[in-house]
Amino acid sequence: MSYAYLFKYIIIGDTGVGKSCLLLQFTDKRFQPVHDLTIGVEFGARMITIDGKQIKLQIWDTAGQESFRSITRSYYRGAAGALLVYDITRRDTFNHLTTWLEDARQHSNSNMVIMLIGNKSDLEARRDVKKEEGEAFAREHGLIFMETSAKTAANVEEAFINTAKEIYQKIQDGVFDINNEANGIKIGPQHSPSPSLPSSSGGGAQGSGCC
Amino acid sequence: MAFLQWRRFNFFDKEILKDTESDQVYDKLKDVNISACVSGRGQLIVGDHEGYVYLINKQLSLNMFKAYEIRVSHLYQLKQHNLLVSIGEDEQGINPLIKVWNLDKMEKGGPLCTRISRAIPNNKATPVTCLVVHENLNWMAVGFENGSVMLFKGDVTRDRHNKSRIVHETSRPVTALEFRTQGKNIFLFVVTEASVVSINISGKQDAKNTLEQFGGKLGGVVMSDHNQDNQLVVARPDAVYFYQSDSRGPCLAFEGEKLRLHWFRNYLIVVGKEDKTLPRPVQLGGQTMEMNIVTVYDIQNKFIAYSAPFPDVIDVLSEWGCVYILGGDRKIYQLQEKDTQTKLEMLFKKNNYTLAISLAKSQQYDQEGLIDIFTQYGDHLYSKGDHDGAIDQYIKTIGKLEASYVIRKFLDAQRIHNLTKYLQALHKQQQATEEHTTLLLNCYTKLKDVNKLDEFIMTKDREVDFDVETAIRVCRQAGYFEHALFLAEKHGKHEWYLRIQLEDIKQYQRALQYISKLEFSEAEKNVKRYGKVLMAEVPQETTELLKRLCTDYRPTDKPLVDQNMYDGTVGHIEKAQAENFIHIFVNNSERLTEFLEHMIRVQPNSPSLLYNSLLELYLHDIVHETDSMKKTERVRKTEELLKNPDAKYDLDQAMVLCQMNDFKVGILYLYEKAHLYQQILRYHMEHDDYVNVIETCKKFGQQDSNLWVQALSYFARKEDDCKPQLMEVLSQIDKKNLLPPLLVIQTLAHNSTATLSVVKDYIIRRLQMENDQIAEDERLIKQYREDTDKKRAQIEELKTTAKVFQASKCNICNHPLELPSVHFLCEPHSYHQHCFESYAENDSECPVCAAENRKIMDIIRAQEQSRDLHEQFHNQLQRSQDGFSVVADYFGRGVFNKVTLITDSPARQTSKSPATSRYV
Repeated sequence: MSYAYLFKYIIIGDTGVGKSCLLLQFTDKRFQPVHDLTIGVEFGARMITIDGKQIKLQIWDTAGQESFRSITRSYYRGAAGALLVYDITRRDTFNHLTTWLEDARQHSNSNMVIMLIGNKSDLEARRDVKKEEGEAFAREHGLIFMETSAKTAANVEEAFINTAKEIYQKIQDGVFDINNEANGIKIGPQHSPSPSLPSSSGGGAQGSGCC
Repeated sequence: MAFLQWRRFNFFDKEILKDTESDQVYDKLKDVNISACVSGRGQLIVGDHEGYVYLINKQLSLNMFKAYEIRVSHLYQLKQHNLLVSIGEDEQGINPLIKVWNLDKMEKGGPLCTRISRAIPNNKATPVTCLVVHENLNWMAVGFENGSVMLFKGDVTRDRHNKSRIVHETSRPVTALEFRTQGKNIFLFVVTEASVVSINISGKQDAKNTLEQFGGKLGGVVMSDHNQDNQLVVARPDAVYFYQSDSRGPCLAFEGEKLRLHWFRNYLIVVGKEDKTLPRPVQLGGQTMEMNIVTVYDIQNKFIAYSAPFPDVIDVLSEWGCVYILGGDRKIYQLQEKDTQTKLEMLFKKNNYTLAISLAKSQQYDQEGLIDIFTQYGDHLYSKGDHDGAIDQYIKTIGKLEASYVIRKFLDAQRIHNLTKYLQALHKQQQATEEHTTLLLNCYTKLKDVNKLDEFIMTKDREVDFDVETAIRVCRQAGYFEHALFLAEKHGKHEWYLRIQLEDIKQYQRALQYISKLEFSEAEKNVKRYGKVLMAEVPQETTELLKRLCTDYRPTDKPLVDQNMYDGTVGHIEKAQAENFIHIFVNNSERLTEFLEHMIRVQPNSPSLLYNSLLELYLHDIVHETDSMKKTERVRKTEELLKNPDAKYDLDQAMVLCQMNDFKVGILYLYEKAHLYQQILRYHMEHDDYVNVIETCKKFGQQDSNLWVQALSYFARKEDDCKPQLMEVLSQIDKKNLLPPLLVIQTLAHNSTATLSVVKDYIIRRLQMENDQIAEDERLIKQYREDTDKKRAQIEELKTTAKVFQASKCNICNHPLELPSVHFLCEPHSYHQHCFESYAENDSECPVCAAENRKIMDIIRAQEQSRDLHEQFHNQLQRSQDGFSVVADYFGRGVFNKVTLITDSPARQTSKSPATSRYV
């Protein structure tokens, strides 16, 4: 349970691109072919190790439906990383990326690490969006890119872990203010300078208007 | 996809609560102006605007007491203590009073009130909006309309030693307060209309954490149970939000205006306003009542467990395992949850197995029930053609569901992947039988999935969850010999290992190495079994192994004598018996020779079989060897072997062998050894080896003189000229007097070549000897005749003429003879009578002649007796060289006398003879 850092992630993208399945594969290592529509925002967590440090990933899996957009938007804040997912077999999900990106940039802090993920790479036969297109989009917008398959688990671990690595690197570089929880990063209990006095940091957080 | 809602089921039965006695709709609350409701500890508690508190127990009997003078505004029932905390007013104006009631102590007119205290923050009169009491009875919080929260610390049941303080102040009314205990920390959630705040009140300083800048309305807040991590649930029109003590949690987008939230078991019950599209106002007593929708959500499994409209819901209570909805019509509606089995059946009907499984799990359904679901799900997926999915489900049934049921379904070749997966799981769970192993391995081999096979078999340090022999067999059949070998080696199945090495991959060298690593008894057994093959392929090494097996495998050297004496019973344990392995060397005499030589060298008193075999080998070699050099060498070796005093070959067999192979030296040596001189002789004869015939006769004539006779007849029959030899033989026969001349002549007569000159000397000599003999005999005859005549004359004389006794002296005492005297006719002899009487044995015999007479008499008698001993006669006759003389001798003894004597009276005849002798 003890961790050095806690990173908050958010998974966004059109409905049906496989956001919940990615999360399920990452946290539970299983795949559910029939998955109910996500109503609202769901939540998953897993420990990973980067650079010998235990890092807890707290992942918000949002509903992709347009009608839930207002609810999910409120979750952008306080996320250190975002997985922007599209479905390689559906071009419209790729076309909507710009909207999603704008949304994310607008509602989150500017340092948020965004990874572009082309999911369902196992359905090569039905591919509608070329890998090169995804790469080009990512290059253009300064994102990390990866194609994954929640079904076969290909690249799923890597997607989450690479994002964490990127965030970790940014912490090392001093880009993130780790004392501001609004950045989606929390220092673990054993790293806290005074764990017996959480009131002071709590007060600070309140003042800065966390969440 | 358009349905932005969870699946909907009907897992609750709705029922209007009826009076148990009258069976009428329960209406005792008909006229009660309800202000607050609470439940717990076996009763429903309702407060009203008249200051009364009503207690309804399971039997629906109603008890009431006056709690406040004016009204009851809030009630809080503790779960672990039978305490009721209430807020109400006793006097006009805003002056709320907290009262604590001990429901266990009922007095006249109501329960014991243990505490009364005022709830006025900072002396500002403001209505109370909410109340919460911590179960540890140490904390109590009251929220006010003016946005302040007052926290009481200390024993809740008493007024004294209580400290109260304001922990939160905002401008918006407080709508909900909840305690949450997390380890040692106690948090107080404060929900106002505009924010959600958590305050850690257990520290020295309150630690506040604003979780959200949106709030909730009165009634729209509830604490979830531990399944949902004891989160605070806040209802807002767009969604239901969850909060941890330190951060925001997930949210569920249930749209619509929500009036109340309630938590029952793992369900979230939401009372919402009905959609405007379905206005169904209910007329009741002239009043128009709005319809509310009560929806029961299963948060964990994500479905709607129940949803139905109720008229103007006042509150939702849960007690006695059911949910009670207090309607605006003052009726109490009971929602009874259906049992799990019923729910599952409903899900099965809709083929919603995934949900059924998670539901069953969350309801702590037992293992068998779950497996039943897995089976049904598997069957369902299978019938839909989703074999991959089906097998996943079937795998979960392993251990309970009969494996063959599943296997039969997937035996089709196209589903072999699924079958493999299932069988693998079966093995992993140690449920596999032999047949399963066979099947799995067959699958692997059919799929040509070597990696999997490797993993299955080659993984070291893994527990074996399959039948090894079966695995070996299948691997072998499928041609995966390496795997089979690995298994066999690992599990010590020597026989399998060797069979595969030898019969399948023909790695003889390795097989041999393997054998040499084995324990003695195993090694011996296996060498016996596979020795032939090994010998055929790797003779050198096999021979070496055998040598070791028969010698070095024995740790302690036992005295060699034991070995033979006990017929290997002692030595058997450690040392193989070489003769058992001889058959292995079939077709490889060279190795066998090597082996046997080694064995004999190391253990000189090996059993005769070894020697026999070696001998046979040598002989065989000699016969087939063409190189003369080598042949000589062989012959030398063979001779050595034969002459080796230690060699224990079987004489007869050796002889047979030598003869079969025509090994002259050996044959002769063996004859000699066996004292079969005749055979030696005959051998030479057969080979017409005159010199050796003579030699043999000379050499062994001492032991068996018959040799000469045979030699004679041999030479006699010879057509060739062999005079010298004949001469030699004859001289020997002559010297030793081995044959009567007549026979010699006869023998020689057969020979057409033997001329007179050869036998002349011999015959002459012989005849000379005969003549001499005849002359001698005649002389003796003559002498005897003369003697006989003399005796006859004497007798005649005695009979016819008188005898004059002129002796003057006594023949005994030698004194002058004087009367009375006795005279005998014999010499004549004369005695004094007294001398004769004292001296003679009887009175009819002359004492002087008696001894001589008796001797003669004895001879005669002996002759007569032995005459009857026919056996002896035959013996003598047979043994004697000259039978005639024996017969003659017996004539002399009067063999045929008896016949003449039978006619006469023998008794008298015999008795006469002493009488006559008296006068002789």
